[in-house]
Amino acid sequence: MLWLWIALGVVAILLVLVGIGYNRLVRMRNEAATGWANIDVQLERRGDLIPNLVETVKGYAAHERGVFDEVTRARTALQQASTPAAAGEANDVLTAALGRLFAVAEAYPELRASENFFRLQDELTDTEDKISAARRYYNSTVMHYNTGIQSLPWMLVARPLGFREKEFFSAEGDTATPQVSFTPAT
Amino acid sequence: MTLQQQIRRNRLRSGIVVVGFVLLLGIVAGLIGAVFDLSLGVVALLGAGLYAIFSIISSRRIVARMTGAQELGPDQLRPLRRLVENVSIAAGLPVTPEVRIVDDPAPNAFAAGLRPQTSYLGVTTGLLRVMPKRELEAVLGHEITHVRNRDTYLMTMATIFAGVIALVADIGFRMLLYGGGRSRKGGAIVIVLAVVGLLLAPYAALLLKLSLSRRREFLADAGSAEILNDPEAMALALRRLELDTTTVAYADASVAHLWVESPTSRVESERRGVLALSSLFDTHPPLVQRIAALEESGGFRLPEQLPPHEPFAVELGLL
Repeated sequence: MLWLWIALGVVAILLVLVGIGYNRLVRMRNEAATGWANIDVQLERRGDLIPNLVETVKGYAAHERGVFDEVTRARTALQQASTPAAAGEANDVLTAALGRLFAVAEAYPELRASENFFRLQDELTDTEDKISAARRYYNSTVMHYNTGIQSLPWMLVARPLGFREKEFFSAEGDTATPQVSFTPAT
Repeated sequence: MTLQQQIRRNRLRSGIVVVGFVLLLGIVAGLIGAVFDLSLGVVALLGAGLYAIFSIISSRRIVARMTGAQELGPDQLRPLRRLVENVSIAAGLPVTPEVRIVDDPAPNAFAAGLRPQTSYLGVTTGLLRVMPKRELEAVLGHEITHVRNRDTYLMTMATIFAGVIALVADIGFRMLLYGGGRSRKGGAIVIVLAVVGLLLAPYAALLLKLSLSRRREFLADAGSAEILNDPEAMALALRRLELDTTTVAYADASVAHLWVESPTSRVESERRGVLALSSLFDTHPPLVQRIAALEESGGFRLPEQLPPHEPFAVELGLL
């Protein structure tokens, strides 16, 4: 009889511990999800700016086809990316393509002087900064979460309860921000 | 320690502070009740409670008035607001705090507000003129960490309660001194006890408050370093604050009155629950300690000479 009670007590304590751990993991997973939502908002904003930018540049440099196609392709790839890692990669590709677009734009003084172009450039720099800020937060929450489900004792229950590791937003982790080098026309 | 633990711990501390202050208030009211009349003690208690509630409700406006923080128009200082946006995104705040400007040559910044949703940051024009972008970002990170960790809430509560206790104790003490013998009751021992108690209560409240505020600053420095992934920037900013006090104090002796005033107003505002970044302004060692803590955790050493820089005010068009 005594043993039964002890066994019941142990089971109850274990259940409580699992409950606490479960809540902790859920909280960390939600934080990571919020972090991802923050990035997603900025990626979307960036994607929305691009058609406008391409149109503006086209107005001055219509024959630079290759660059426009490249940017548009990179944008589509980013919008279709389904995982954080893929999105991170697509975002880097887009950054590189935009860099080339702006390099091309350098050759057109009228374009650089255009108010619209200046505004778009400014907005894009801003989204770029915000993406890297959101990425820092997201990656730190993912790191927390992954560490949480990989360390004892939670790793014993994390998998059966359906907690899976999350991907970081960029493959190389949190290295220096890929900066588009906008040289403002001074 | 994770952020969530940090926040919960702060909530718990806030709870302890509130309980501590309520106890203290009870003692003060009890003393008043014992010396004069029980009903007077109840009146003191009720008055103090009402005053505290009123202060909590209007704390946001009071802080704004005392610091002279000006709201910005929708098109003013957009680069600064963008910077705040970026830092709060990196901190994972749900809402970007509003930015307000304090027209003051001394470099400083504060965070105020009870909840993250209603919080705002105050930045002096002096700070914008002194700090380059990278370090300004670190300072904003420091303040945003205060908002995120609910330090602003904790300190506002502590400040209000400390103020209420000081007020009630002061009134009680004056009544004891000038109230005349007729209204008093109780023996000599009770009166001595009341005098000592009423004299000490404000200091007890102040101590309770100070016990909270010291470590918060270290935590906020660490938070900023983590958010921006750049502990050196925070250390550089602190060093610049440190250096700035000396240069300003000696450069313009003719406007010394301004400088005598602004440090005291800084101390004032800190006492009233504004988390001043350089709250340890005139006491150098703590600033040095904070830099040392950052150097240790970040594994770097600040150079003797600060790197040349362009203040952020240039980008804002203020200079």
